[in-house]
Amino acid sequence: MYRYDEFDHQFVRARTAQFRNQVERRLAGTITEDQFKPLRLMNGLYLQLHAYMLRVAIPYGTLSSKQMRQLGMIADKYDRGYGHFTTRQNIQFNWPELTAVPDILDDLADVEMHAIQTSGNCIRNVTSDPWSGSTADEIEDPRPTCEILRQWSSLHPEFTFLPRKFKIAVNGATEDRAAIRAHDIGIQIVRNDEGEVGYHVLVGGGLGRTPIMAQSLNPFVTREQLLPYLEACMRVYNRYGRRDNKYKARIKILVQEEGIDKFRSEVEKEYAALTPADIAVDQEEIDRITAYFSPPEYEDLSDVDTDYQRALETNAEFKSWNDNNVAAHKIAGYAIANISLKPIDGAPGDITGEQMRSVADMADSFSFGEIRATHEQNLVLANVKKADLFALWMRLKEAKLADDNIGLISDIICCPGMDYCALATARSIPIAQQIYERFKDPARQKAIGEMKIKISGCINACGHHHVGHIGILGLEKAGVENYQVKLGGDATETAAVGAVTGKGFEADELIDAIERMVDLYLDKKEGEERFLDTYRRIGMDPFKEVLYGAA
Amino acid sequence: MSTLKHKGKGPQALTANGLRKGPVVYLTPDYVWSTDYADALITEDAAAIEKMGETGDRDEDANLIVGPYFIDVEADSGLPARYREKFRMNGPSFDPGQPTHIDHNKARGALIIGGEK
Ligand code: SF4
Repeated sequence: MYRYDEFDHQFVRARTAQFRNQVERRLAGTITEDQFKPLRLMNGLYLQLHAYMLRVAIPYGTLSSKQMRQLGMIADKYDRGYGHFTTRQNIQFNWPELTAVPDILDDLADVEMHAIQTSGNCIRNVTSDPWSGSTADEIEDPRPTCEILRQWSSLHPEFTFLPRKFKIAVNGATEDRAAIRAHDIGIQIVRNDEGEVGYHVLVGGGLGRTPIMAQSLNPFVTREQLLPYLEACMRVYNRYGRRDNKYKARIKILVQEEGIDKFRSEVEKEYAALTPADIAVDQEEIDRITAYFSPPEYEDLSDVDTDYQRALETNAEFKSWNDNNVAAHKIAGYAIANISLKPIDGAPGDITGEQMRSVADMADSFSFGEIRATHEQNLVLANVKKADLFALWMRLKEAKLADDNIGLISDIICCPGMDYCALATARSIPIAQQIYERFKDPARQKAIGEMKIKISGCINACGHHHVGHIGILGLEKAGVENYQVKLGGDATETAAVGAVTGKGFEADELIDAIERMVDLYLDKKEGEERFLDTYRRIGMDPFKEVLYGAA
Repeated sequence: MSTLKHKGKGPQALTANGLRKGPVVYLTPDYVWSTDYADALITEDAAAIEKMGETGDRDEDANLIVGPYFIDVEADSGLPARYREKFRMNGPSFDPGQPTHIDHNKARGALIIGGEK
């Protein structure tokens, strides 16, 4: 994975020192809260419902074991022994004290991490496919592109005060595992008819209160053109994006109001006016960065490992974990091991400091010392020998991380909601827990199959409810938590925004309502259909009927 | 005059976060801030409410607290009226903390911010 160069080290250290000084001045009272707030937000520090919250960037979700250990140390030393992985592949600490934050940032800098641009109206952490480099359906590993984007967007002087925050995702496989259509800019790596690798750039996607799926802006941008082209996009947005209304300030609204053709012609005009060579990275630099992501030293293995086969045949529990959590790897004898952070007695995405250290050790033993965080709030060891999977699973069990529910109904995306978030209108964590409890029977979960439930605690949609097969939005109605339900959302290459079923449900009615919909699906399902497929085939009406009775 | 307005009806309490450590705090009858809601000054008296607002402004300027605001309190139970404020008072309803928020507060005891030292 990428290692900081001199420039990276220097800018992160400089920012940390600068923030230390800003905190000192705030505590001494020489700057006011109004002056300090934008400064702390630029360094990822929020004031939430109960306490400060620090959001740490994990570039495109990639972590070394050393970094994971340091996060565990921070959780134990400065926080309350846990952290929370978010839908942006970042990690949040829920209880840091302001006076300790400069030290935390120093400790992060020691392992080449920071909290810069995890808040504010700038280009946020670039997200990507957590299986990067390991799947057969990959056109190209997206990580070098992500790293180039990270360097380009970090402290970019022109894009520090955009009309609103800006999120970019890159996907390199044919299957979209990075939800690129839900991003301000989504980048799909493609190969054209001549065999050249380039980028399909999509623009104007986003969730929040106005969910819109990104549209195609340019079907093929070459490698050399990428940064200048994105720079042109950002300039058009920076100039014309609405600053008069926070709720209309995202690029999706600009693209919607102006139309994609007009937006495209503005970008082309801007592109024609700039000097691409001033912005583009040269081949030498591309090669230098790409070298950091060269494949690990895979062993030459047979794809069949007899011990592993035997373990699958003799240990049903291991087999169940293997069937749900392990994905095919492009190299013979290897596998992708997904680690669920969705235990029945926890909050989605939460992990203790001790578990962070365990995962770091497992990564060292079994996956070249590297870990990925996913936008679905799980972790991945992307390069595990099949022969090691059983030993890995034993270690996961010991660490209480062996839940075998990846992709199933209990693998729920869930924002912190009113248990932590100052903006929330309702809780989301207890809903996720109640759904898990209701569907905890493993056989039933398997019968239901792939199911994406996503829960947000307010209209800001951090829990991606618009693109859940079942999406749940927590609202407040007459002083009571009330949950709106959406159906048919999809965050993948067949992206769609879900449709509201109708009137919302109170918490104690909601779980029954979900169960009625799931039972309807199981009843109507044809062949291998997933819930989403059945919904698409039979439409909303039958679901409405089981929710609200015949019209 | 205080810049802090309250739109609510009935008894009011004043809440904020401590600047240095960030905890939720409530203004007490001694016009200092406590992390324990049981210490909160709850009143309908217009003059007291005015003084509470002024204290909020003053202590924010004095860099003791951040973001003071009034909350409605249920007359019968004495608890915050909105469920948001109930959660804010108790900590997360699901709390994996080691220690949990409640245990942390118990172990530390009520933190008092402001007043004569
Ligand atoms: S969706 Fe709302 S409640 Fe949930 S984390 Fe985002 S802002 Fe907070």
